[in-house]
Amino acid sequence: MTTAAAAPATHKLDFEDLVREHERMVFSIGYHFLHNAAAAEEVAQDVFLELFKRLGTLESPEHVTHWLRRVACHRSIDYARRNKGTAAEVSWDQLPEPAQPAGHSDLGDSDPMMSKRLQQMVAALPQKMRMVVILRYQEEAGLEEIASTMGIPLNTVKSTLHRAHAMLRAKMEQKVGKEWGETRGEVNA
Amino acid sequence: MNRLENELKKALERVEPPAGFAERVLARAARVGDEKPVRSRRWLELFGFGVTGMGGLRWAAACALCVVLAASGVIYERDMQRRRGEEAKDQVMLALRITGSKLQIAEQSLKELDSGGQPQQ
Repeated sequence: MTTAAAAPATHKLDFEDLVREHERMVFSIGYHFLHNAAAAEEVAQDVFLELFKRLGTLESPEHVTHWLRRVACHRSIDYARRNKGTAAEVSWDQLPEPAQPAGHSDLGDSDPMMSKRLQQMVAALPQKMRMVVILRYQEEAGLEEIASTMGIPLNTVKSTLHRAHAMLRAKMEQKVGKEWGETRGEVNA
Repeated sequence: MNRLENELKKALERVEPPAGFAERVLARAARVGDEKPVRSRRWLELFGFGVTGMGGLRWAAACALCVVLAASGVIYERDMQRRRGEEAKDQVMLALRITGSKLQIAEQSLKELDSGGQPQQ
C-alpha cells in the first residue's frame, strides 16, 4: 500500500486508497468534457499528482472529494483551452446525423445510440455550459454545489443549465423528431 | 425529471478509466516523491515558499527582502566612500603638518643668517 511517504505532511488519508476510490469520478469528468480518453487520462493523472502534493492540507474525505471535483473541472477546462484546435472537440454544427431516421419514436431506455448521440452533443456545447451539464448529470450535483465547484454565481448556473437544456432539446428535436420535446421540465435544485 | 434529463444521466454515467490507470498514477507520484529536494525545500519553506507556487504574501516577502538587500548595499557603499574620504583627509593633514614644520625650520635658519650667526643644522 502506498502511503505517500514523500507527501508534504503527515496525514491519515492514504493516497492509494483515494486514487482507487475517486479514479472513476476524476477520469469521467475529463472524459465527458474532452471526449478523448488519452486527454482525460492526462488530466486525471495531473489531478491526482496535485492531490499527492496537497494531501497534507486536506482535512477529511469530503474535503478531498470536493477538492478533486473542483480541480478536475478546472484542469479539464484549462486543457481544452491549451489544446484548442488540436483537442478532439466536437463542433456543434458538424455533429453526425443520427443512424435512425427522423420521426423514429422507439427510443427505449437501453438505446446505446441515443447515449452516444447525447455524449457528442454535450461535447459540442460551449465549455462552461458543458461542465455544468457534466456536474449536474454525471455527478448529480446540486445547483449550489456546481456554483461552488466552478466558482460562478448560482443564477449563472441556473441560466446556463436552462440554455443547455434548450440547445440539447432543439438538437434532439431536429435529429430525432418533434415528440422528443413534448415532455419539458423545469430545472430543480 | 423529464426525458432529456433521464437520457443525459444515462449518457453521462461515470466510465471506468483505462486499465492500469491507478498504477500509473502511483508510479508518477513515487517519482515525484523521489525527485523532491527535501533539504533545500525546508529552508525555502521557512521563508514561506512552498512547492506548488507562491502566493501574494510570499511575493511581498520576496520583494521586501530584495529592498532590504538593495538598501544594505547602498548603505555599505556610502560608508566605504566616507571612510576613503576620511583617510584622504588624514593624509592631507599629515602632509600639511610636515610641510609646516619644514617651513618653520627654514624660517628660523633665515633669521639666524640675518642676525650674522651661523645657521643651526
